[in-house]
Amino acid sequence: MASTRRVPFRSLLKAGRHALRTRQYSSARVSDDCDIVIVGGGPTGLALASALGSSAVSNRLRIVLVEGGDLSKVHGWSMDSDAYSNRVSSLTNASQSFLRDTGAWSHVEESRTCPMEDMEVWDGVSDARISFHASDVPTTGSTESQQMARLTENLNLQRGLLRHLKTHPEIELIDKTKVESIIRDEEEGQWPLVKLANDRILRTRLLIGADGFNSPVRSYARIPSYGWFYNTQAIVATMFHSPPSLYQNSLHTTAYQRFLPSGPIAFLPLSPTASSLVWSINPPELAQALVASASQDPSVLSSMINAAFRLPTISLKYLYDVVMDARTKGVTLDGEVITKEIRWREESHGIDGNSAYASSSTQLSQGMPSLDAASLPPLVTSIQPGTVASFPLKYNHAETYLGEGLGARTVLVGDAAHTVHPLAGQGLNQGLADVECLSKCIAEAVANGGDVGSYTALLPYAQERYTANHTIMSAVDKLHKLYSTEFEPVVWARSVGLEVLNELDIVKSAVMATAGAHSSKTTNSADAAVGINNGWSVVAKGFESYASTVKAARMASQGAVGLIGEGLQGIGRIITNSSK
Amino acid sequence: MQSILRNYIRRHATAATRQNSSVNASEISFFSKLSSQWWDEHGEFAFLHRMNPIRMQLIHEKVREMGWEDGAASEEKLSSRSALDGLKVLDIGCGGGLFSESLARQGARTLGIDASEANITIATLHSQADPNFRVSSASPSPSNLSYRQISAESLLAESGPEQYDVVCSMEVLEHVDNPADFLNSCAQLVKPGGHLFLSTIARTPLAYFLTIFTAETLLRKVTPGTHTYSKFVNPGELVEYFQNYPTSLTSKTTTSQPWISPSSSVCDLRRTEAEVRGMIYDPLRAKWHLASRTASLWGGDLVNGCNYLFWVRKPNASPSQ
Repeated sequence: MASTRRVPFRSLLKAGRHALRTRQYSSARVSDDCDIVIVGGGPTGLALASALGSSAVSNRLRIVLVEGGDLSKVHGWSMDSDAYSNRVSSLTNASQSFLRDTGAWSHVEESRTCPMEDMEVWDGVSDARISFHASDVPTTGSTESQQMARLTENLNLQRGLLRHLKTHPEIELIDKTKVESIIRDEEEGQWPLVKLANDRILRTRLLIGADGFNSPVRSYARIPSYGWFYNTQAIVATMFHSPPSLYQNSLHTTAYQRFLPSGPIAFLPLSPTASSLVWSINPPELAQALVASASQDPSVLSSMINAAFRLPTISLKYLYDVVMDARTKGVTLDGEVITKEIRWREESHGIDGNSAYASSSTQLSQGMPSLDAASLPPLVTSIQPGTVASFPLKYNHAETYLGEGLGARTVLVGDAAHTVHPLAGQGLNQGLADVECLSKCIAEAVANGGDVGSYTALLPYAQERYTANHTIMSAVDKLHKLYSTEFEPVVWARSVGLEVLNELDIVKSAVMATAGAHSSKTTNSADAAVGINNGWSVVAKGFESYASTVKAARMASQGAVGLIGEGLQGIGRIITNSSK
Repeated sequence: MQSILRNYIRRHATAATRQNSSVNASEISFFSKLSSQWWDEHGEFAFLHRMNPIRMQLIHEKVREMGWEDGAASEEKLSSRSALDGLKVLDIGCGGGLFSESLARQGARTLGIDASEANITIATLHSQADPNFRVSSASPSPSNLSYRQISAESLLAESGPEQYDVVCSMEVLEHVDNPADFLNSCAQLVKPGGHLFLSTIARTPLAYFLTIFTAETLLRKVTPGTHTYSKFVNPGELVEYFQNYPTSLTSKTTTSQPWISPSSSVCDLRRTEAEVRGMIYDPLRAKWHLASRTASLWGGDLVNGCNYLFWVRKPNASPSQ
């Protein structure tokens, strides 16, 4: 170092000029110059490419998307109209209007999607219940159909985005090609160099990590991330059931979610006869046991799903033990055994055979449905073969979304930036909101002649999205923790909480931001973002007061013990006094 | 800007001895490090980096508006990608090239000049890392961005007057020793009907408090000594200068029509002649805002009392009246 400093300043200037001249001669580079390289062809990466493609910036920037998998498989994906892929997301109205604005939505097969108009949520321990209806949400556009979100298979969305990208050939898609390494261009400007498995090297102004939880872009940018595993696995599957009876709403557009101590179980409508399951289970071994037994006899899983929505938690626990027992002993679990067990449990709980809480498949959709039918999902009759899968749940948030210093010219979106518990169905929506904000930021930088890879150009994205995502993520995380306990005062407080929630329309609308219900007519996205944030802040505040309620409940119960204690002492005193 | 640079050169140059050396890779990397100071978006120049969008906003607005006013620009031209496309633009006191690069990306044929050789080297090195500006043997078309180490006065003497559609000089005026001479050189380089954009700081207690006391003394975000209060220039002084411009001394080539009508004041400038727009920094969003034109009507002292942009247009060669 010292020797480099011992050079006269004048000669340094000369050296610089010389360097410039030599650089000009050696500029026959092997690397490809790009303005934007997106790593990852999942829903977020594709949505970003499609948003950039539909904006004017694509004429002025060279944009490349790199994906390790085979995108032609996604592009050519098709399924019978009565079968559904197991990965389903609930797209909020905000996400849908963004996709409409970019022109991608028209390429999504809408007949395979299903509006979510109502939502039934209840506590598995206390049975306290809250109902959400899309009509509760104040909308600015009166003609819009009332929906809280639209359930869409991820593959349907990805295929739609790819079809949309076909109309923007200026955006280069490189698939079946892994990113081998990412290094810095030490010679010039320290721009990122993306080395592909086919030996191509992309030198890029801006490197976007849409590359998921284990993001290589995040590692390159040296951005630390913070999080934990929930010790929980989620089971997904496509479930078949009978259509709603003629006496009920003719379309099945209600989502159901029951918070069990083992984790929330959700029933998401896809068509009148098919729904999607997302069942978070703690411990993960139980989830694996269920998946294993489903592979031997699928009726075990359908019976267990029906029971999980209906039986008291104490009996569910017993059924879990049966499943785990079979797994540890290596015994094949017979669907008949489980069905019998459930029927016996129902009888012992005094559940009437004609009630919606009975899962005996004898009384299916014949005649008048029982009065409580609307509060429970339809009975699952079978599971679509090959759709049962499970994956671990985690919470993870990158410390920042923008690379700095040696990791400059990088930005993270979607799961690479944040991973959240799926109970509120926010993961993909957060990713799409990231994409919307980032593409606007890029367009603005281009309009001002800015460098789209510069920290200054990207700062508004990080400012807006970090706070928004953090608010949602901590609220969802708290929700998960709150509902995974059976501790009495907490259960009492939360049942009161839910019932109180049911009464408070304002708080309710805020919670509905969870399901994504805010006006699809919102044209001013800044307002929309504020709306969402406000909603979530209300939720977060709700949790704060909630926590204090729990504390109060604890104190009250201790107080009660104290009172009884004092009462006994008093009685004791009376007795001793009288005996004297 | 130039005094920042003086500190800067002092910092790096004092370490040097008289020993001579041949060119080697470590020297190049040394220059890259110098460059990274100007281009360090977290450092002293962060405020300037963030100022670029609103500088560009005003340039776009005025160039487009005047094109429409003249009726010269067709509908397509107005709606096309950039108002600066193809224009000849001079950036005086370009420093590390922060704003010159933005201008060139907008399609302007941009020349950045600076009195400092170090700045020009830094600016050139930085632009050469960017494929937008890289001169390569493969593509014969020259880059639309170039830099020269030359003062405005020397450039004027060398190339003659009326060379540029747009002349801008951002955050320079408050650092020059003789503002009147400097403004004269800037003004002469503008083509008739062309635009002159300046940004600087007003000489007000507010400006002292924000730019010297807060930024330099209190927060040390900017190297102490960067700004000198007495060198700050008020919007009224600029307006007055161009009301009396060209003076009998300077008008050898231009018409005698003043650039700004003598009857107007800072508060009621003609939309086609000049404009003063305050720049307000929002520390929470780390973003500069451009005050509206009408803001100077009601709160001129406050809105334009610190950093501001000034635009003035050179009258067309043949006076319309």
